[in-house]
Amino acid sequence: MFRRILVANRGEIALRVIRAAKGLGIETVAVFSEADRDGPWLAEADATVCIGPARADRSYLDAGSILQAAEQTGCQAVHPGYGFLAENAVFAARAEQQGITFIGPGPAAIRRVGDKVEAKRTLAAAGVPTIPGSDGVLTGLEDARSEAARIGYPVLLKAVAGGGGRGMRLCAGEGDLDRAFGEAALEAEKAFGNGGLYLEKYIDGGRHVEFQVLCDAFGKGIHLGERECSIQRHHQKLLEESPSPVMDAPTRVSIGERVAHAVASLGYRNAGTVEFLRAADGSLFFMEMNARLQVEHPVTEMVTGVDLVVEQIRLAALHPLRLRQEDVTFAGHAIELRINAEDPANGFRPDPGTIIAFEPPTAAGPGTRVRWDSAVRQGYRIPPNYDSMVGKLIVHAADRPRAIEAAKIALASLRIEGVRTTIPLHRAILEHPEFARGGYDVQFLERSGLTG
Amino acid sequence: MAKVILEPIGEPHERFLRDDVWRAQCDAAEEQGRALESKRAAVRAGWGPKYEARVREKGKLPTWERVERLKDSDSPVLPIGTLVNWGRTFGEDARTSPGAGVVTAFVRVHGRWVVVIANDNTVASGSWWPRTPEKIQRAQEAALSLRLPVIYLVDSSGLFLPEQSQTFPGRTGAGGIFRMNALLSAAGVPQIAGVHGDCIAGGGYMPIISDVVYMTEQAYMVIAGAALVKGGKSQKITSLSIGGPDVHVHQSRCADHRVPDDAVLLDRLRAEVAKLPSPAWEYYRYGADPAPPAYPPSELEGLFPVDHRMGFEMRHVLARLVDHSLFWEVLPGVGPEMICGVGRVGGLYAGFIANNPLLTDDPVKRDAKRPGGILYREGIAKVSQFSRALNDDGIPIIWLQDISGFDIGPEAEREGLLGYGSSLIYTNSANAVPMFTVLLRKASGAGYYALSGLPYRPVLQLATPMTRLAVMEGKTLAIGAYNAKLDDHFNIVAKTPEEAEETRRGMEAVEARISRDMDPVLAASRMDVDEIVRPGELRLWIESAVAMAYQSIGYRRVKNPRIWSLHDLSVLAG
Repeated sequence: MFRRILVANRGEIALRVIRAAKGLGIETVAVFSEADRDGPWLAEADATVCIGPARADRSYLDAGSILQAAEQTGCQAVHPGYGFLAENAVFAARAEQQGITFIGPGPAAIRRVGDKVEAKRTLAAAGVPTIPGSDGVLTGLEDARSEAARIGYPVLLKAVAGGGGRGMRLCAGEGDLDRAFGEAALEAEKAFGNGGLYLEKYIDGGRHVEFQVLCDAFGKGIHLGERECSIQRHHQKLLEESPSPVMDAPTRVSIGERVAHAVASLGYRNAGTVEFLRAADGSLFFMEMNARLQVEHPVTEMVTGVDLVVEQIRLAALHPLRLRQEDVTFAGHAIELRINAEDPANGFRPDPGTIIAFEPPTAAGPGTRVRWDSAVRQGYRIPPNYDSMVGKLIVHAADRPRAIEAAKIALASLRIEGVRTTIPLHRAILEHPEFARGGYDVQFLERSGLTG
Repeated sequence: MAKVILEPIGEPHERFLRDDVWRAQCDAAEEQGRALESKRAAVRAGWGPKYEARVREKGKLPTWERVERLKDSDSPVLPIGTLVNWGRTFGEDARTSPGAGVVTAFVRVHGRWVVVIANDNTVASGSWWPRTPEKIQRAQEAALSLRLPVIYLVDSSGLFLPEQSQTFPGRTGAGGIFRMNALLSAAGVPQIAGVHGDCIAGGGYMPIISDVVYMTEQAYMVIAGAALVKGGKSQKITSLSIGGPDVHVHQSRCADHRVPDDAVLLDRLRAEVAKLPSPAWEYYRYGADPAPPAYPPSELEGLFPVDHRMGFEMRHVLARLVDHSLFWEVLPGVGPEMICGVGRVGGLYAGFIANNPLLTDDPVKRDAKRPGGILYREGIAKVSQFSRALNDDGIPIIWLQDISGFDIGPEAEREGLLGYGSSLIYTNSANAVPMFTVLLRKASGAGYYALSGLPYRPVLQLATPMTRLAVMEGKTLAIGAYNAKLDDHFNIVAKTPEEAEETRRGMEAVEARISRDMDPVLAASRMDVDEIVRPGELRLWIESAVAMAYQSIGYRRVKNPRIWSLHDLSVLAG
């Protein structure tokens, strides 16, 4: 096992990793930018190193500084958290050439799953259902037209190297496609330096369901069930739950096992997430794979009892999986609410500032558990340089209705003053009858009018 | 701990090139590239569809199709000597010989790089022209250097007799091919031959030393064809009857197996290669995965200034050649006019020695700069030591030339550049590690020699459409030739305007002639470069070359990175 690891991240996830490492008897080194020198999570690390100014590209994204810090403090491994360098193949490669273990999949796997067309092809080859679409990159408008005709409208034009909706266009018919093609290619070229486009069948009113997998270095993989992440605003997840209210056990078993097998057979190591779009008729289609720990990983931990960060560290240290698929059990229901410092009255613009009063959420009654993943405290000033998440409130109860009730109680006990947050929005979602029924899809929030 | 720590190099082109400059450079490269590709296509067409149809009528495949069927479907074809004899004609009827009538190429068969040598049956039935033997021997040399299996696809009616005096008796005459057959065999390099058709005289000798010889039902091998056999007509002797598979497979045992046709023969040759040991490159990656550069290699097309006198940042070139654009520059503080370092290419370590064409700090005069692309004392010493270290460590060397020559003048002579240069020449001549030389742009004077130009036997010497290969630029030569009529600043000194005009015209004529001679196509035609490749193709070539250098084991030194002498060099440099 590692003696000391470096945590190349900030905020709640840095704290999460530090505590997991501590539980394994591993020392931690936290790195921080000048903007984070008062970060409350730093106190829990065994050592801290300032790696640069507030700008992320000169600190948390500066692979050279981070690796130098790891070298100087004698770390054997680096945990990237999520975001920043978590899915950066070059960072992983540079860490490895310095003999520092990257806690995550290797550089080749990161690159392979990062290429959406390639990822789709390999997962399809391993028997995972994928959205009907063009086979690879479109050669031009002619190709796009004939592929769209084959797949059937409406279709979604997407950038091969894409993300965040850039270079993406919904086309209801050939007229749309003709108009959108050049535009999208240009946008993708500008944003990603790669104008390659592909087509997918557009699935109206789908749900975002993702499977958690864990793979060891010896070709074995297991899944830890699914997470439902359809409560989104502008493709940003806000609330996640596990299990999905619409997933039945046989589907979970059959898709989950296929996914675990497929990912393991790719030579993938460590934790990963396989995202699916679930159509209204219940069919699941592979969308993409995330080669990192997800923000919403706690809901999986709450229903399976598996500490994903601990498992990540163990797997990176070349331990075999200690769980077999049949050892993984699912108990109860978990919901995570992302509490962001945002102003709902102002288009949910980030609202950084100082937290003048803070009380963490308290227990929500017998049979429930409340977890608060956060690194803030009273008097903490949220810097404007990074994302606006204050913390994640996670509740667990025996079933979904009780989990929703528990979430309401816990939310009511959480007090954050000084910055505007998404707490009122969460309250409204939890009260919404469509949410209570569990029949929502990715367009629910926008349709509901709750986001103004 | 002796770790190899590679650092990111390079930037997106938008950061260092204005958009209009970038576009202009891309356009210029595109125009040159298109001209090159049309020449490649012309060579590939051989003598044209009529001759190809003739081959097919006989139930045979045209040679390029044989090569395509021989290789793995995902393998590139990396031909060398494509433009040999370009622009030359032979015989009284001025015949052309596209590619000198033979295809020599690197291809992968069952995942292994092999050298394929295939007579082009669409060019005078695979005859050997002037330079055909040299071209074949050059491919054999590459195979011998890297211990790559050789596959011969033989279909040759022998020497093109009207020009036999050029191809028969000399040091590199046709007999040199058979000598190379023998040397390859002596070095334990697998040779596999497929005989597809006429193999008269030389064509008959070439396959015999191979470990395994296959013949199709159409193939025959004879010392002399039926036409030369006395009384042949009355006895109804044909070349097939005296040298076909009936004779050579069943009676003489000069061949091993007979197969019905080209398609089956190529399958059998592939199956033979599959029996050989698998490539060692996975082992020599030491656990790393091959990865593309962070910046697309296709962008190499737009990195070079249209005017060859303008400098460019060589690190931007390197960034588009090495995996992840990660590079360890060794001794960056000394002799900055040269860039020496190590990167991975396809996961395998390669050493790069490159000119830095930009201005660099003068080591003596403070605040002074001096031009790059020139060899000064410190740079030469650095390159010598680095070249020795790479040889010692068994790291293949990639030379990237954009060199105008050695520094000249009283100071350079006093410093003893002749000595430092000779030390470098000695080092490179004695190196045993595989070397590959790329003439990116200028390759002038003794600098071309000192950085392992062709006379120093790199396994391959590649040029680009921008390459200018000469002792000196035309302008320099004109200055030298008209030295007596020039002043200190090389301005013309003349008594009358007429005399000045005469000198000017004379100098222009010299310059124009030299510029024509520096055309890389001419160099390729004369075999002074092995192949002209587009800048955007360089990563593929270098990645393939490095893989070839790590394919076979046991014939050369490969030290693991823990014990590289490069680390010693780096420590001593501080």
